[in-house]
Amino acid sequence: MKNPTPSFFKAMMAIVRKDLAAEFRSRELLSAMLVFSLLVILIFNFALELDVKVRESVTAGVLWTTFAFAGTLGLNRSMAVEKDRGCMDGLLLAPVDRSAIYFGKAISNLAFMLIVEIIVLPVYSMLYNINLFQPGLLLVILLGSIGYIAVGTLLAAMSVQTRTRDVMLPILLFPVAIPVLLASVKASSGYLNGADFAEILAPLNLLIVYDLIFIAVPLMFFEHVVEE
Amino acid sequence: METIPDTSGYMIAGYAISFLTMGIYAASMYIRHINLKRDLETLESLEKETKKKK
Amino acid sequence: MQTKPIALTILDVVSIIVLGISTYLALVFAPTEAVMGDVQRVFYFHIGTAWVGLLGFVIAAVAGIAYLITKDMRWDRFEVAAVEVSTVFFFITIVLGSIWARPAWNTWWTWDPRLTTAAVTELIYIAYFMLRQGLEDPEKRARFGAVYTLLGGLSAPITFMVIRLFRTIHPVVIGNASAEAQGGFSMTTDMRTAFFFALFAFTVVFIDMIWHRLRLGALEEKVEQLKLNVSL
Repeated sequence: MKNPTPSFFKAMMAIVRKDLAAEFRSRELLSAMLVFSLLVILIFNFALELDVKVRESVTAGVLWTTFAFAGTLGLNRSMAVEKDRGCMDGLLLAPVDRSAIYFGKAISNLAFMLIVEIIVLPVYSMLYNINLFQPGLLLVILLGSIGYIAVGTLLAAMSVQTRTRDVMLPILLFPVAIPVLLASVKASSGYLNGADFAEILAPLNLLIVYDLIFIAVPLMFFEHVVEE
Repeated sequence: METIPDTSGYMIAGYAISFLTMGIYAASMYIRHINLKRDLETLESLEKETKKKK
Repeated sequence: MQTKPIALTILDVVSIIVLGISTYLALVFAPTEAVMGDVQRVFYFHIGTAWVGLLGFVIAAVAGIAYLITKDMRWDRFEVAAVEVSTVFFFITIVLGSIWARPAWNTWWTWDPRLTTAAVTELIYIAYFMLRQGLEDPEKRARFGAVYTLLGGLSAPITFMVIRLFRTIHPVVIGNASAEAQGGFSMTTDMRTAFFFALFAFTVVFIDMIWHRLRLGALEEKVEQLKLNVSL
């Protein structure tokens, strides 16, 4: 952990490659997350009656709720697979730095979440005739997802070891991730409604602060969560 | 000077709830303590029995 | 361990006395506030419980770090005690705030930064107990608990800052003149006495409750150990 050596990156990338390769073969996780996201949007459409006026004010909220739910689904699954197939034990036996495992899992989780977002965004744009492809908004989505996944990966590693693991992750994750979700919603709706940059800057700064803290902390404590 | 609004009902409710909550918590600790003591006694006697059998 | 220490009995009596005095100061001694009337009197307990609630959560995070460094189960017991007692006090804070808000703001609840942060914090610590309940190994329970209190303690202030971007009507009682319009008020000397005494009283009650919870925790651990021994 003190000085990242080449083997650190090698180990990290090996985990990422393994996860992505497994996923592109089975496509279990991505398809589940995608179908789930589209269903959530569908439900919101009728629950909130997303007509033109309402749409402008709630789009950011609908998007982030969808991402958060889909994200939990992915996080839970990706950690449960490690646990059930005994991969985690294998990884822990390997002479690899624990933080390399954390980064590896976090990066592949982030990749899954971003892929889902990249597919959901154009679908949403098309369905509701809103242009979501603004560079600022995409930046917010990236920053928000990083923070959410950073803390989510740590908590998922904890929740899969509990007795009630299927319900545990959202209960642990949502209250802790509220700042990142709210800041993302605030910044996203700022971009969507064409607010001044000064107004968007505050939530954007908080997002960056959150990201930094919640990458650093799990990095320090991940080893305490996975060791047997 | 305007008259002070009568909000004493809220005040009484507030203090009642404060003391009630603290009371319930203290009682819960007491009950848990009693139960644990009982468990402890049962377990200790169980342990003695198993030792005797050996 | 079996017999209750005399110091604790003394502390019990002292807590009841100071709590009684604090109640007297808040209900009788302090003058009635002119704009809001008697309901303002819940403010003393509101602040008192909020103070120890927050104190407990900070203590819990510190105890969590201490546990992760030393791996000494006593820190874990301390952390659980602090979180549990604080959760109870914080619940009182939220309820009192809500009771006060009804006549002052004409609503039981608003999504103001302090209220929301308080509610989220309370949820974090309820989740903390659910997490612990789902784990059987005491050592793992302690490790996960420590990590989670830390995450919670770090996320709560950011929650507060984020929600402040949205809106606020909560009064800033100390050192803000413009707050008066939103239900803030300036304190007279007698109010100050009641205010500081409430802080003191709740600190004493808090220490007393933590001590009791620590003893309970030690007993729990003993029973758990014995259960393991017997089943083997």
